[in-house]
Amino acid sequence: MKDLDVVVIGGGLLGCLAARNLCRWNLHIALLEAREDVCTGISRANTAIVYPGYDHKPGTLKSEMCVRANARFDALCQELDVPFSRCGSLMVSFGEKADAVLRKKYENGLLLGVPGLRMLSGEEARKMEPALAEGVSSALYAPTAGTVNPWELGIAACENATANGVELCLNTCVLGIGRTAKGYRIETDQEVFSCRAVVNCSGLSADSVQKLLFPTPVYIAPDAADYLILDKSAENKPAHIIQYEPEDGGKGFNAVPTVEGSLLLGPSERKNEVDFAVSKEGLSFVRERAARVLPGLNLQDTIRSFAAVRPNPQHPDGSSIGSYVIDNPDSGFWSLIGIKTPGLTCADELGRYVADRLAAELCAEERPGFDPHRVGIRRARDLPLSERVVLVQENAAYGEILCHCEGVTKAEILEAIRRGAVSVDGVKRRAGSGMGCCQGSRCERAVMELLAAELGVPVGAVRKDGPGSEILEGSHGKN
Amino acid sequence: MERTELLIVGAGAAGISAACAAWDAGCRDVLLADRLPYAGGILPQCIHEGFGLSAFGSELTGPAYVERLAEGLAQRGVRFLPGKEVLAVTKEKTAVLSGKGGVEEIRFERLILATGSRERTVGSLSIAGTRPAGIFTAGQAQEMINLHHWRLGSQVVILGSGDMGMILARRFTLEGKQVLAVLEQDAHYGGLARNFHRCIEAYQIPIRYRCTVREIHGMPRITGVTVEALDNGKSEFLPCDTLVTAIGLVPERELIRGFEKEPWLSLAGNCSRVYELADSAAAEGAKVGRYVGKQLVK
Repeated sequence: MKDLDVVVIGGGLLGCLAARNLCRWNLHIALLEAREDVCTGISRANTAIVYPGYDHKPGTLKSEMCVRANARFDALCQELDVPFSRCGSLMVSFGEKADAVLRKKYENGLLLGVPGLRMLSGEEARKMEPALAEGVSSALYAPTAGTVNPWELGIAACENATANGVELCLNTCVLGIGRTAKGYRIETDQEVFSCRAVVNCSGLSADSVQKLLFPTPVYIAPDAADYLILDKSAENKPAHIIQYEPEDGGKGFNAVPTVEGSLLLGPSERKNEVDFAVSKEGLSFVRERAARVLPGLNLQDTIRSFAAVRPNPQHPDGSSIGSYVIDNPDSGFWSLIGIKTPGLTCADELGRYVADRLAAELCAEERPGFDPHRVGIRRARDLPLSERVVLVQENAAYGEILCHCEGVTKAEILEAIRRGAVSVDGVKRRAGSGMGCCQGSRCERAVMELLAAELGVPVGAVRKDGPGSEILEGSHGKN
Repeated sequence: MERTELLIVGAGAAGISAACAAWDAGCRDVLLADRLPYAGGILPQCIHEGFGLSAFGSELTGPAYVERLAEGLAQRGVRFLPGKEVLAVTKEKTAVLSGKGGVEEIRFERLILATGSRERTVGSLSIAGTRPAGIFTAGQAQEMINLHHWRLGSQVVILGSGDMGMILARRFTLEGKQVLAVLEQDAHYGGLARNFHRCIEAYQIPIRYRCTVREIHGMPRITGVTVEALDNGKSEFLPCDTLVTAIGLVPERELIRGFEKEPWLSLAGNCSRVYELADSAAAEGAKVGRYVGKQLVK
């Protein structure tokens, strides 16, 4: 049995950031993740927007957190050495009804203290963002909106948490939770954990994990969504995040110029589906929206489409809830259930919120040696030539380009594996290889060979992402 | 900074031919760089015959064809830099080269881009369904099988009946795998007639026309595809454990984005336009090399 102060269940973005926030306190912490790597669920696929926070009802925790979280995002990404692009957003309308919706959001944003908001005419919006369609009638400009790669942030937080003493337990699935004199007893398929407190960040399973010991106030009804990615070379990409408020009040649409330089389009929405398979209808929807809002895009520049699943929280009667659910059913047990938009924006604030309260409950003192800084994998492609020359002199593997689309070197891929990547997609999430226009078809073989060599397994055992995703024909692959 | 009169990027059929022709035109300062550690580009993995009929008068395999080309290279004083990727070029006519040995900047007078083409991938098609393991491009599958002896899968569907698709269909068959179908959206196969006869007909590989893959099934490994007939919209589930896409080539010109109009730049081979035959790419490479070489000698 492993004895700890706090067990964080779930190694997604929320769990990683919760664990990192708990590190500020002198506590012995474990982070449990059912899969072989962190950030492989909701964090792996979403809209990647850091919202300015004008959308939410004043007086709610969500509205308060979102504005604060947005303001803190530069500092968070600096500490964790993660690229963050504060590119600003334009929410656009195509008619009077939606114009009125934008004005309402604008006024709401002013009430909430969202900085820099401006209402623009269609003409002003097109001046700021020439990629916008002629028909745009007004726009709400939010200069504080931004974008971050969600998995990059989560992985960085996890690395920083483990550097500060958090024990990361991968491939560890929670089976049961019990009450003990000390606090809680967590049974997993690996070992038993005894702890004083539990933080439940288990994403799509957060309600079922809570139900292992307590009733759950909300249920998760997953929604699926589809996205498209256009190559960084695509023309007429917007420089700002573009959000579309439809005149008929229907589902909107986002176009996000990502930190990698590609353009993310989506999502579509499919209610009550827990399905990571892309739907034809969803893709058509995204394409239709993209053509309407950003007519200059050439959708032939698509390099990937993917599906995401979001945890839509509902009351037991099936009605949707308006705000976050941070449940504290008993002392020392905190659950983050149904954290969706703006979940990425608020993930760190939520972690801090729970960590501060737990620290008070546990009478924990601040950890003197807490180091909030994590250094990312050094990327040769970001360096000026003179530094690059020196880097390759120090480490020849920095001279060998393996991912030709993104310019990722062998050294970066080796470092990704050293930092915990156990699959081709794990390498992709850490080093960025395979993100470009060839989608890994040119570097996959080399990445597989490095994974096999570094992990000490035959190449036939190398996986795309998780058990059963062996890329070659099972164990028949050449050693 | 090191200098060269002529920098050629890419040592495939076109690049090697360009280098030799430039030399023969009198240019005595030719630098040929390739990111692969060997010459020939895609050719060493093309172990089938069918190369060199017009250039050498006999049908050679890809590796044998490269040998001939490389002999020509060795007879001349062209400097060949294998394992060097050209990262960037500038308006000031410099190029940054990166390899195991280091990163360096080279000044050139003329540049011949001979970077070939890259494959379109399944991602560009936006097919509905899952994103499982077991999907390969034809070139990727060919490299894994022919150069690394890896085993990809046993029940194979091939999307696209261009030369790559048909040659891969035969290759999988020779490996003892079952090619369930080659799928073609047109009413006729896409590649050369000789490849159709030698690969598809000779091995009785099923080919289906006017159809495409509408949905991918299975997670974490592919378990099948939905094939849709384009004429009547009828669809059918085809179980498979491997999907190979041979859906076309895109000229690889990322390196010169923004420099397309520069007078010091010439394009040769598949990066200029996609050729059916390596011989044709080589012939164009030679033509461009000769032209640029002569200009440099003037």
